[in-house]
Amino acid sequence: MNLILKKDHLTDLLNTWRGNHEVYAPQSLQKFTHFLPLLEGSEPVFDQAHNTRIPPKALFLPISEALLKFTRFGGYEQVPSQKAPRLIFGIRPCDARALTLLDTVFKQERYTDPHWQTRRDATVLVGLGCHEPCQTGFCTTVGSGPFDRAGLDAILTDLGEEFLVETLTEKGECLFTQLKRASDEQNARAMDLQQAARESMPTAFEVEGIKQKLDANFASPYWEEISRSCLGCGVCTFLCPTCFCFDIVDEAQRGERVRNWDTCMFRTYSLEASGHNPRPSRVERTRQRLSHKYSYWVDQISQIGCTGCGRCVRYCPVGLDIRAMLRKAQQLPSEVLHAK
Amino acid sequence: MPNEAKSPYLPIPMRVLRAYYESTDRSLKTLELGFDDPQDARDFFAAFNPGQFCLLSVIGKGESALGVANAAWEGDFVRFTAQKMGSVTTALHALKPGDPIGMRGPLGNGFPLEDWKGKNLVIIGGGCAFSTLYALTKHLHHPSNREDYGKLTVIYGTRTSGLCMYKQDIAAWHQRDDMEVHQAIDVPEQDWLHHVGYVPDVVKEVKPSPVNSVVVVCGPPIMTKFTLPALVELGFAPETIFTSLEKRMKCGIGKCGRCNLGPKYICKDGPVFSLAELNALPADI
Repeated sequence: MNLILKKDHLTDLLNTWRGNHEVYAPQSLQKFTHFLPLLEGSEPVFDQAHNTRIPPKALFLPISEALLKFTRFGGYEQVPSQKAPRLIFGIRPCDARALTLLDTVFKQERYTDPHWQTRRDATVLVGLGCHEPCQTGFCTTVGSGPFDRAGLDAILTDLGEEFLVETLTEKGECLFTQLKRASDEQNARAMDLQQAARESMPTAFEVEGIKQKLDANFASPYWEEISRSCLGCGVCTFLCPTCFCFDIVDEAQRGERVRNWDTCMFRTYSLEASGHNPRPSRVERTRQRLSHKYSYWVDQISQIGCTGCGRCVRYCPVGLDIRAMLRKAQQLPSEVLHAK
Repeated sequence: MPNEAKSPYLPIPMRVLRAYYESTDRSLKTLELGFDDPQDARDFFAAFNPGQFCLLSVIGKGESALGVANAAWEGDFVRFTAQKMGSVTTALHALKPGDPIGMRGPLGNGFPLEDWKGKNLVIIGGGCAFSTLYALTKHLHHPSNREDYGKLTVIYGTRTSGLCMYKQDIAAWHQRDDMEVHQAIDVPEQDWLHHVGYVPDVVKEVKPSPVNSVVVVCGPPIMTKFTLPALVELGFAPETIFTSLEKRMKCGIGKCGRCNLGPKYICKDGPVFSLAELNALPADI
């Protein structure tokens, strides 16, 4: 059953939620929007057509986080995970879908990551569909879409003066108990908007068979060609909602063992103690990034490890575009031509 | 910490029981660690399989992945041999009996010992990579395990005789009638009674039979690279050739991302792979 949330009631509703959740919403900070705790009197920012710069995965896998605290005489203890209830308001469907992909990494039967798990369990996600999809996004190409429901507890459609609210889980239903039902006309208008948004997004590249192309061309000069202008800055992975690699370091002076986001685009990432590096240049590192998303994820969970959010395209300092890279990959031969 | 699941990043509290140099040049040191809590020992050995590894924690320095070098029947301790390379292994070399140390594990799959039952085993090792093969050989030496397997052949090469690990034990293996041992060094030395030459050449000389046999190869990449084709030439099928891989690791449980070989993580899906499995994976090593 769909509900109607008048925009001028939003502040009241957010205030109500704040009574028993820490509410996160997109807010302006310097030149970008970020998911930040919503304080009394501040308003969420939706006017930017695109998404927050840092994906909300950072609220579940923080950029830097202590795993252990060192105690006296060489001892150590586990750092407790954050458990207070949270509500993320205005998360975009690509980012919510990314969380479901990351669940398959962090919530495995053996070795569940308690930090990820407790944060996920304590958080409710209210999504905002993209009625004006961003220019660099290609969610529809990779099996998602501007109104993808994956991972969300409720999704909002912007109807101008009001939001149409579609609750998707029990957790989501509990948030919107006071609202009126949407009329048939409002439902129809939302459906039209959602369909129009989907249809406005062109197919960025052919997804069918991309894994086979990348696998067959593991030793192809293609990787050298597409990585030639790469600076190795790592921003494509840092801002990627599905990248999850991390480093673990001992911060001796702080007395903590910390995990920090890491990136396969850095040389030291795979550098071994002997000096050997399986991925010595940006050629191998670019191959790892693309193959991970478009081949290895597919092997592991039968899903592409990219939700088409478009951040890697938007923020690449030299304008490298994963869509163009994959279009080019589709031109490659399907058989192995180069020895491993 | 009430109601909080135990973190897989939380090391088991251990203590150094014994620490001794393994090689005459003091680049290799063996640590034998005891458990602070007997329950941890029971949990560890209930899960342990030769070929697995652990992450040793020196608090304030970090973690280092090392193969387990003992069999469960040897006692309630875990043995590792570390080559002094970086800051963590240097700190490991400085540890003395009684010092506390953290350990996460056992991690990885280990050798598929169930599948190998009834077969002849050929164990080929080079340098300090022999540690998990030592654990495997020790495991097989236990009478209740030995009868499950056929002929046992060990080929172990090091650059010099001084770099050979577990010297006393291996010297004793030559006297055993239930196994064949071939030791090798790269260049001749006075009083050396065994093979002289690189491991792939020694393998060609010893010519282990592929009939009803499996072979395990662990060594430096250059040794593995030339030993695998020699074994294929001797008639070993890729499904019967096993090796243990290494890459840089952080988490050890398939989350931090860096030790992948295509869709497989060496820490979680390995470190032991058959050549048939490796042939299907990208050569990203």
